[in-house]
Amino acid sequence: MKTMSKLLTAAALTSALISTTAHADTLEIGVLLPSPIADVGWSHALHEGINAVKEKHGDAVNVNVVENIQEGPDADRIMNKMVGDGNDFLLLGSFGYMNAGLKLAQRNPDKSFIHASGYKTADNFSPFTAKYYEGAYLMGMAAAEVTKTKKLGVVAAFAIPELISTINGFTLGARSIDPEITVDVIWINSWFDPAKAQDSAKALLAGGADVLFSNAQDTPSVVTVGEEGGAYVFNLNSSMKEYAPTKYLGVVKTDWAPFFVASVDAHLAGNFEGQNQWLGMTDDVVVVEDWSDDISDDMKAKIAAVQADIVSGARHVYDGPLVNQAGEEVIAAGVRLEDGAILGMDWHVEGVNSPLPK
Amino acid sequence: MNTLEFFLAGTLSAATIFLLAALGELVAEKSGVLNLSLEGMMAVGAAVGFVVTYESGNHVLGFAIAGLAGVCVSLVFAFVTLTFLANQVATGLAVGILGLGLSALIGRNHESLTIAATEGINIPVLSDIPLIGAVFFQQNLVVYITFALAIVIALVLSTTRLGLAIRSTGENPHAAQALGCPVFLIRYGCVAFGGLLAGCAGAYASTIYTPLWADGMIAGRGWIAVALVVFGTWKTGRIAFGAVLFGMVSLGELIAQAMGARVPSQLLSSLPYIVTIIVLAAISTNTARMRLHAPFSLGETFDGSNDR
Repeated sequence: MKTMSKLLTAAALTSALISTTAHADTLEIGVLLPSPIADVGWSHALHEGINAVKEKHGDAVNVNVVENIQEGPDADRIMNKMVGDGNDFLLLGSFGYMNAGLKLAQRNPDKSFIHASGYKTADNFSPFTAKYYEGAYLMGMAAAEVTKTKKLGVVAAFAIPELISTINGFTLGARSIDPEITVDVIWINSWFDPAKAQDSAKALLAGGADVLFSNAQDTPSVVTVGEEGGAYVFNLNSSMKEYAPTKYLGVVKTDWAPFFVASVDAHLAGNFEGQNQWLGMTDDVVVVEDWSDDISDDMKAKIAAVQADIVSGARHVYDGPLVNQAGEEVIAAGVRLEDGAILGMDWHVEGVNSPLPK
Repeated sequence: MNTLEFFLAGTLSAATIFLLAALGELVAEKSGVLNLSLEGMMAVGAAVGFVVTYESGNHVLGFAIAGLAGVCVSLVFAFVTLTFLANQVATGLAVGILGLGLSALIGRNHESLTIAATEGINIPVLSDIPLIGAVFFQQNLVVYITFALAIVIALVLSTTRLGLAIRSTGENPHAAQALGCPVFLIRYGCVAFGGLLAGCAGAYASTIYTPLWADGMIAGRGWIAVALVVFGTWKTGRIAFGAVLFGMVSLGELIAQAMGARVPSQLLSSLPYIVTIIVLAAISTNTARMRLHAPFSLGETFDGSNDR
């Protein structure tokens, strides 16, 4: 049914989409987003990133946004219309826009495309993803200091590598401070069900967790439960501090601005090159901020040191030795897990209590 | 609050969304009208309820206007199916989609906002009893009202003249009209009542159960409520039982995961639906029992003439 409602919204929005005729000196940028910009997670972060482009180039660019579009035929139609309307640079904000977006890019070699979360590339089509696990590792360290029960809880959407590697990073960070800490995970098997997310958060609290990680939830559902239930809480993408003024541990923010600005600049200079963009703290895309005042200066210093090491490359979240849930050594000491293995991660590290759904 | 308390107390509050919406649908179906727009009516109720409560800070006002909004949507459905005699299934689906779209529009400026959670009421003495106190005597007022409403509706349907008129309209509108029942009025009234409760169920979801608004937050609960009416074979008590069972299964899934149960979470997530299928299959094996309670003219249009 959600699809149908999106169809209606889409129909209304498309007709409202401004079809400005492209001036030779104005770059028309088309932005397609899967949820409302007013969400406090994913689409909001992407929109902030594109705003930075607008800020830098002012009247030289014109941004046309269509939000809240379900992946599928409707999205395909709208991105085709965007190209038809004269948009030369397209930001496609959801994994499911990939195949249609790629076809469109191949048909329009003079236009540039950046695509969130995907893995396919073309000369003018760059997929981009954030290394959330780097930020989650630092959050794990902070969580280890504030937890009293030594139990941390995660409310997560779907068991895909991106989320699994984030949970593992979080667990590794926490256990680097205190190896007794364990992590419980509830998979709600939905990108979007605030009621289920809240119930899950409450179930984790009832089970003894006192730090919550809202993993890929674009509503403040879990964050508000943390504040009410007296548990520290953090999330990804955009800050939700206003929803948990006293219990907000921090945010693993994605600041897409540097990447978006660089991509648009490249397009304007005529040297846009399609390639896989996997961006982390080194690229200033993954930013950890809004730290809780309850984290000691000592811990903040430790976190800053680890962060500096990750940025410099002296250290990697997935440096061996790494042990999986069954207690087997997966990565030997001195070995660094390859990017490909992280992008395809399908196992949990030791310390995660919940079995991984397969 | 320990896990068991959370589970049992949460079950009742989760069941309330299902029960409130299903009771309204039951009354509409008892009068012979199948209104499949429940999901859309609930979404409109949730959006309107949230916006009004957020702006006014008054939960009662939020519920009242949300209920009214539910009635308005249901009257669109009633007008098309009862006055223009359109197919009820198709119209229900269409109005449901309209409702979902409308809810996105209404809630547009309130996306992802939250309101403070309401406290449950604490019944003195009783609420201090271990376990039982937390489960039965610290719930939100709406939970008590909903379960009381189930009893009232059961009594009205089975023992009053009004109930008899509704049931006979649903069984055989021709006979009911011949006997002097205002069939159109009764059906309009029952559909509107269904809309009222659906709107309130939506408001409960967005202002009390999960006090925030996000487009699409009803997330299929309206469809579960429609299924519950069949699940309960149009009997109020069984529908209430079904609602509690659904609340229990949907929460139990999450708790099982939190406790590290070695069962795939996808299987657990599908449990409520698997249970529905099993129970429906079990009930349907006795077709006589099923037919006994299903309103005989359910889903059929009635043009007011007595020539068949």
